[in-house]
Amino acid sequence: MIPNVAPASADSAEPTTAAVPPRAPRQSSAKKFAGNKLFASPASVAGVAWLAALVAASLTAPLWLPYKTEDQDFTAVLSGPTAAHWLGTDELGRDLLSRIFASAAGTLGTSMITVIVAVGLGTLLAMLAAAAGDRVETVISRVTEVTMSLPGTVIILAVIGAVGTNIPLIMAILGVLISAGMYRVILGQAKSLQSQLYVDAAKVDGVSTMGISLRHVLPGLTNTIVVQSALIFAVGMLIQAGLAFIGFGPPIPEPSWGGMIQGASQNVYNAPWLMVPTGAVLALTVLSANAIGNALGKAPNSTASHLPSAAARRRRTMSVKTAVAAIAATAPTPAGSTAAKNTLSVRNLSVGVDSTGAGNGVRLVTDVSFDVEPGTVLGLVGESGCGKTMTALSLLGLLPSGVSVTGGQILWNGRNLAAATDKDMESVRGREVALISQEPMRALDPMFTVGYQLTAAIRRLRGMGRAEAKAEAVGLLEKVGIVDAARILKTYPHQISGGMAQRVAIALALSGRPRLLVADEPTTALDVTVQAEILSLLRGLVKDTGMSVVMVTHDLGVVADLCDQVAVMYAGEVVENGRTDSILENPRHPYTLALLAADPHANHAADMPERLATINGQVPQPKDWPSTCRFAARCQFAGSACVVPIPLLPSGTGDGLVRCVKADELAVEGLDWVATEVASHHVLNLVETPAVATRTVEKDHA
Amino acid sequence: MELFITKRLLMALATVLVVAVLAFMLVHAMPGSPGAVSLGAGATQEAIDEVNQRLGWNDPLVVQFFSWLGAAVQGDFGISLIDGRSVSADLASRLPVTASLAAGATLLSAVLGIGLGVTAAVRGGMVDRIIGGVCGMAVALPAFWIGIIFVYLLAVQSSVFPATGYVPFEVSPQDWALSLALPVITLAVGGAAFIARQTRASMLEALQQEHIRTLRATATPTWKILYVHALRYASLPIVAGIALQFIQLFGGSVIAEQLFAMPGLGQAVQNSVSTHDAPSVQGVVVIATVVVVAVNLVLELATKFLDPKLRAS
Ligand code: SF4
Repeated sequence: MIPNVAPASADSAEPTTAAVPPRAPRQSSAKKFAGNKLFASPASVAGVAWLAALVAASLTAPLWLPYKTEDQDFTAVLSGPTAAHWLGTDELGRDLLSRIFASAAGTLGTSMITVIVAVGLGTLLAMLAAAAGDRVETVISRVTEVTMSLPGTVIILAVIGAVGTNIPLIMAILGVLISAGMYRVILGQAKSLQSQLYVDAAKVDGVSTMGISLRHVLPGLTNTIVVQSALIFAVGMLIQAGLAFIGFGPPIPEPSWGGMIQGASQNVYNAPWLMVPTGAVLALTVLSANAIGNALGKAPNSTASHLPSAAARRRRTMSVKTAVAAIAATAPTPAGSTAAKNTLSVRNLSVGVDSTGAGNGVRLVTDVSFDVEPGTVLGLVGESGCGKTMTALSLLGLLPSGVSVTGGQILWNGRNLAAATDKDMESVRGREVALISQEPMRALDPMFTVGYQLTAAIRRLRGMGRAEAKAEAVGLLEKVGIVDAARILKTYPHQISGGMAQRVAIALALSGRPRLLVADEPTTALDVTVQAEILSLLRGLVKDTGMSVVMVTHDLGVVADLCDQVAVMYAGEVVENGRTDSILENPRHPYTLALLAADPHANHAADMPERLATINGQVPQPKDWPSTCRFAARCQFAGSACVVPIPLLPSGTGDGLVRCVKADELAVEGLDWVATEVASHHVLNLVETPAVATRTVEKDHA
Repeated sequence: MELFITKRLLMALATVLVVAVLAFMLVHAMPGSPGAVSLGAGATQEAIDEVNQRLGWNDPLVVQFFSWLGAAVQGDFGISLIDGRSVSADLASRLPVTASLAAGATLLSAVLGIGLGVTAAVRGGMVDRIIGGVCGMAVALPAFWIGIIFVYLLAVQSSVFPATGYVPFEVSPQDWALSLALPVITLAVGGAAFIARQTRASMLEALQQEHIRTLRATATPTWKILYVHALRYASLPIVAGIALQFIQLFGGSVIAEQLFAMPGLGQAVQNSVSTHDAPSVQGVVVIATVVVVAVNLVLELATKFLDPKLRAS
C-alpha cells in the first residue's frame, strides 16, 4: 500500500549499458525548475486549478458550507443529490459536500508533512552522500536499500499501535520510509552536479562543502524535487485515506475521506451513490498532483527511438504511397531506368525533422547529390552536426523516428529507396545495403551472444539452416580477421574488446553479402592502433568483394587512405566534391582548406605547418542555417559577395564541384587557411567585419 | 556471483534483524502493560502485576529482547495476550491467505502490466494515450474504492464471485480460486498500472538503443525486434519493478483482507494493533518482513541472472 516513488528503470537499466563510456552529463540548466512546463500541459493546469480551488474552498469552509459536519438530517438519510444536499447524505443524514470539503484542508495539510519529511530527508541524505565521498555514500545507500525492502504498511501499523492515531506523527514517519526512495532518485543527479566544473571551481575558491551543496547543487535539483514532491503528495493522500479506511483515521465523528468511503462501503448495497462523491474528490486530487508531477518531470527531448512506432510506420506507408502516386502522375518514367548495376545515385536529397514533432520541420540535410560507382569508396567528410550521418542512414531508410526524407531521390540499381516503404526496405537492408556504425559496443545487442546475433542474421539473409549458418558465421569471423572464431561466437559483446566488436559488427554487416556498405565513422571510437587494422580490413574487403562503400568520417587521414571520391559536407549541404587526390592536393572550398589545415594526418610531412589551424566557432544549429553561404560566419575569406545563396558549380579540377563564390579567386591567389589563435570573440565579429584574406606568405613570418 | 549472493543474504539477514529490534521497541512503546491488556478493564492491580511478572515484563529490556529473539528464531513468537493462542500457529494459518493474495496479485499485475506496457510502447499514438490515461486513473483511485466497486458490480449485481470470505485450497480448489478472484483483481489494478508504466518506459528506452538499428539494418522482422530483442533488454528493469510491486501488494493486502474479510496477516496486524496485543504485533511484523525480504532476494537474483554481464562475472 506504500507505493514506491523511485522509478526502478533508472537504476536497473544501468548495468546493461555500463560497458559503454558514459555520455557527458547534461547541462544542469536543463534540470532547473521550469514553471512554463507546468502550463504547457492542460492536465497540469487543471490539476493546479483543482488543488487551489480545493484548498481555498476548504479553508473558507465555515463561511460558505450549508451544514456543519456533524449536522444530521434524519429526513434525508442516505439520499442522493438533492437541492438541499448537492452531493447527497450519509447513513446519519450528514451532508456529504460539507464533510468532504471540511476535511480537505486537514487531508492535504497532513499529506504535506509526508512530502516535507520525505523530500527534505531524502535530499539532505543525497547531498551528503554526494559531497562526503564513497564511504558515506555506501553507508547511506545500504540503509536506504534496507528501508526500501521493508513492508512499509505493516511497519506503519505497528507504529500506530505504539503512538496511537496521531496522524501528523504517522505521516512524518511515513515520510521517513519514503525518503529512501527519494534519496535513490536524487543521488545520481546530486553526484553529477557535485562533480561539475563550476563546483570544482567553487572548491578552489575556498567555498565550504556545505556552501557548495546549498549554493550550487541544491538549485540544480529543484525540478526533480518539485516533481517528486507532487508524486509523494499523491501517495501520502492515498495512504492516509487507506489508513482511515481500515479504522486508523481521525477520531470518529470527525470526517475523513477514507473514513467516509468506509462508511459508504457499509451501505454500498442500498446506496451505491455514496461511493461516488468522496471517491471522485480523492481521485481528482491524486490525479491533479500526479499530473503536475508528470508535466514537470517530462524529459524535454528524449533520444529518438530507432524503431518507429506502429502508428508512425502506418503514417509513413501512407505518405510514401501518396508520394509515389504523385511522382507516377508527373514523371511516368523513373530516372533510374538507365542506371548501371550496383550504382548508387543520390539526387537532391533533403532530410528534415517531421513538422508534427518538436523540431517542427527543421531541415537537417538539404539538396545533397552524389554518385557511388560499383567497387568504389565515397567519403562523406565534415564536422559533426553537418548531416553526414543523416545522409548515410537515409540510404538504408534507418533515419531515427521523427526524421524523414523530405525530398530528392536515392537511386539504387534504378530503384528509388527514398520512396520505398519500410516493408520494401526490409528486402534491401542487409542483402543489398548494409551498415556499420560508430560504436561497436552499442551496435551489438548486449543480451545475446555474438554467435546468436550472427547466425540469426545469416539464416535470415541467406536462407541457410542452423548448422550451415554456424559454419558460415565461423567463416565470416575468420574473414574479418578473428582467429579464435569458435570462442568469440560464444561470448557476449561486453566480453570482447572494442576492436573485436567492430570486427564482429563488420562480419554482421557482411552476412547478407551486401553490394553497398554504409560505414558511419567506423573507427572513431577505437584506439589508434586498432583504427589502422580496421581500415586495412575494410580496404581488403572492398578489393575482395567488389562492394562499394559510403564512408562517413571527419578524419581526412581515413579519406586519404580509403576513398576514391570525396564529398565534403557543411551544415547539411555538399560544399565540395570530386576525386580524393584532386581534393586533397587541390582543395577549392575554404571549409576543405580549413579541414586540411586542421588535420595532422592530411598534411604532408614536408609542408607540415608549425601550428595546426583551428576552425573557430561551431557548425551552426540546423534551425540557424542562413540562406546565404552557411560557412560565412566562420570563413576567413568571407566578404560582401558571400551574402547570397551560393550554387554548387564546377570547380575546374576534373569533374569536381564547389560551393563558394571565391573559389576561383582563392585558387588563383593560392590562399591558404591560416593557423591563428583568434579568440572566439573575434570570430563573432567576423560576421559584421569580413576578415581580410591573409596571404600565405604571412604564415612563413609566423 | 557467489560473493554477490552471500552479500545479499547478509543484507537480508541484517534487514530482518533491524526490523526485529524495531518491532520489539515499538511494542514496548505501546500503551498498557501486557497484564493490563490481557486481563482487560476491571482487573485488579495485583492480578496485572502477577501476569507482568510471569511474562518477564519487569526484566531489563535487553534481557527481554534476547529471550524473545531466542524463541523467535526457533519459530516461537509467544502467546497472544487476547485469546491465549500461540502466535506462531495463528500466523502459520494466516500466511497462506496473504501469500496467495500477494502472489496472485503480483502475477496478474505482471501479466496485465507487461501486456499493456508493451502494447502502449509498440503501438504508440492513440493506443498509447488511452493506455496512459487508464493507468493514470488506476494509480489515482485507491484500491479500497476499486474493491468496493468490484464487490458491488461483480458480487452483488451478478453474484459470480463471493463478496467476502476465504476458502482454503485444501477444502475446495475451485472455491479457493473464486474467493481469491475479487481481492486479487482489486489489488492488481494499481499494480498492473505501475508495471505497465515501467514496462512502457523500459521498452521505449530499449528501442532507443543503437543495437536496434543494427537489427533493422540486418532486416530483422519487426515482431522479432520488439518481442525478442527489445523486450529482453527491457526485462531487467521490468523484473526489478515487479519486485518493488510485490512489497506494495503485500502491504496492500491489509486493505484487501479488511475489505473482503479474509483471515490473513493483514487482518492480524490490524486486529493486534487495535487490541495492543504485543506478541502478535511483533510476530506479524517479523514474519511479513521475512517474506518480503525473501521474495525480494529471489527476484533480485533473477534480475542478475537475466543480465549476461553479471551472470558471467
Ligand atoms: S562563399 Fe564566401 S563565406 Fe562562403 S566559403 Fe566561400 S568565401 Fe567563405
